[in-house]
Amino acid sequence: MSWVTPLGSNVNDVWQRLVAGEAASIEILENEQNGARYLVRRVPATTMAHLPPHARLRRASAISRFAAAAGLAALAEAKTPPSLDRIALVFAISNGGVIYTRRFYAEIVKSGAQSASPLLFPETVFNAPASHLTAILEISGASYTVVGDGAVGILALKLADDLLASEDVDTCLVVAAEEIDSLVCEAYRQWRFLRDPKKPETPRGMIMSEGAGAVLLKRSEGEMEIDQIVPGANFFRRSEASARLGGVVSRLKNEIGFCVGSGNGTFIDRAERAAVGDEMPVYSPKIALGESVGASVFWQLITAAKALEAGTLPGSSKPPINSHAMVLACGLNQQTGGLTLRRRDCPAFPGSR
Amino acid sequence: MNFEVKTSRRVAIVAAGIVSPLGFGLTETLQSLRQARDCVTPVTAFSVEKTRCKTAAQIDDGRLLDKANRSRQDRRLHRASYMVMTALAELLERAREFEPEIAIVGTTSGGMSFGENFYRTLGNGGACSAALIANYPPQKQIVDAMERFGINAPAQVIANACASGTNAIGHAFNAIRAGRYQRILAGGYDALSELVFVGFDSLQAATPEKCRPFDSNRSGMVLGEGAALLALEEFESARSRGAKILGEIIGYGISTDNHHLTQPNPDGSGPRRAMEQALAQAELEPNQVGYINAHGTATILNDIAEGKAIMELFGDVPVSSTKSMMGHSLGAAGAIEAAVTLLALEHQFLPPNINFRDSDLPLNIVANQARDAQFDCAVSNSFGFGGTNATIVLRSSER
Repeated sequence: MSWVTPLGSNVNDVWQRLVAGEAASIEILENEQNGARYLVRRVPATTMAHLPPHARLRRASAISRFAAAAGLAALAEAKTPPSLDRIALVFAISNGGVIYTRRFYAEIVKSGAQSASPLLFPETVFNAPASHLTAILEISGASYTVVGDGAVGILALKLADDLLASEDVDTCLVVAAEEIDSLVCEAYRQWRFLRDPKKPETPRGMIMSEGAGAVLLKRSEGEMEIDQIVPGANFFRRSEASARLGGVVSRLKNEIGFCVGSGNGTFIDRAERAAVGDEMPVYSPKIALGESVGASVFWQLITAAKALEAGTLPGSSKPPINSHAMVLACGLNQQTGGLTLRRRDCPAFPGSR
Repeated sequence: MNFEVKTSRRVAIVAAGIVSPLGFGLTETLQSLRQARDCVTPVTAFSVEKTRCKTAAQIDDGRLLDKANRSRQDRRLHRASYMVMTALAELLERAREFEPEIAIVGTTSGGMSFGENFYRTLGNGGACSAALIANYPPQKQIVDAMERFGINAPAQVIANACASGTNAIGHAFNAIRAGRYQRILAGGYDALSELVFVGFDSLQAATPEKCRPFDSNRSGMVLGEGAALLALEEFESARSRGAKILGEIIGYGISTDNHHLTQPNPDGSGPRRAMEQALAQAELEPNQVGYINAHGTATILNDIAEGKAIMELFGDVPVSSTKSMMGHSLGAAGAIEAAVTLLALEHQFLPPNINFRDSDLPLNIVANQARDAQFDCAVSNSFGFGGTNATIVLRSSER
């Protein structure tokens, strides 16, 4: 597993910083169209300095670079390199290549359709980052890009899980990525989800961020196992979100020690707490890393895996003594889901296998 | 997770719903296919003053929006939502008891024109409606359509460019085949948008002329729009409850061609691998296939690559691209073409490839007019940007 976050890309380093209570630095992004300002957490340029060059990335947007960095790192972790003809790529995305999309459409609006760049358009397509990644990794089999809201990671992991049930696939690289752009920030601002830039210290409202996450799933047994993946029912009013999340929680197994949730300073915080109850420790890495929408479930998943491994949950005085962790995801626009993760050799529950 | 591989299950199509420029519903679609109707008309949704191409195959808004019960909430929905609702209404009319565990659908742009409106309004200093933002995301259209009919199932939305619809149906097929689900709502949708129209125009992949797939004078694609949904169910489950079985999905192939972000490898190896995989899964020899609904965009590059793969693998099996009549509906194309192929199997005819004069490829093109034929199995191809290739094999229900 691997991530690219505003706190860096080394899994252990970022984990230690989360445990220490650090948060990624906040910058101000300004919208050229209307002058609006947004708080954002960006991936530092130094984090991407180690990404090897590739012809496909020459013109690619940030989202594809984040995805490539995370995907390559996750694959490099594999003890045995997976066979390229038996590996599938599943990519989760929400806003997608929005920087090039905005630029392309801006050319149409400002200068007319005849001025729109044929170089930009292909990068606006949702599966462009996945395409770059398959080319870099030379994957020639199945590749799927799954789109949705902040819970899309759960749906992508479920798709990967279903692919692994077929006889054609042994390994699934599941990657998610997002990039920050003022247009997306403006949409969330008008939707009243963003934190007030004049009040960066308040917990109300979310701070947009960017980056990627990647996990390599295999059918064979590893130290850490995704036990169950539950794509949840949809909600149509915010007041329904806790009930839908509750439905997901009830379908996940018991004996869950803690929850890594998707709380981001919006209605989701209360909905998740209501769904899991008051007793269960809940931590959201979005407090420190920001809201990366499509990539967020992967940051949660990696946080949960590290918490199981270390026996520590950031921000909680209670150690997570169970072999099972829950990752809960609630998007801002309808979708929900969750999964349970278990550590196979958990000393507290030696018989949990 | 439970990785027990169970891949022996058969997958039945128990209902379908469709809206496209060919018509509202399967009956109208069938008539249009039989009549070789050219649905391409001048674009009306946005200005095409500065584009090379001026035409597309479009769904009449008056009729589309009339179809829905327009509550205040409905009026905020994107027209792609209406397309999905129209297709779902037909599907459920034919299979009222169908309760999907999950929806697996394809799209490339969801409510894109709402995003365009948002950007333009912002630039003009106007106040943006929150409804534009809320109804823009690509999962919104299927989720809203399901809600309209009392279905609340998770929606797995696949965005594999122009192969999305076929990938969605193919993945749904494999998931049922592997015993992961009993019932899946599968398909695809896309509505015409300015950004995408200008995008293909800028690439010169679209044509200002007629759309002539596989013709030696082909000059590019014409865009379209629409939605189609299939109710897929584990065969024995469908049979045991007495459901009418329209046909079966029996094979699926997927491959990735890493040649170029927007261009297929001209050697046709990517499409060929997808077709070979699908045939292998279906346990069919190429000569057992009676019809190929080709991706057939009429771009120089697609038709060379796909035509070469078809020639090498299938020889003279009849081929047509129904995009010649209804345009290329991107994420919906594979789903619409699956429904078209299902109609061809059910009514034993070969849909035509219109605007065809002569070909530089020795293919058995179903030129300009529908033909009657007897066949049990058919192939539907979809290929897309990013080098994604997908093929499904369908079989008629008469077995």
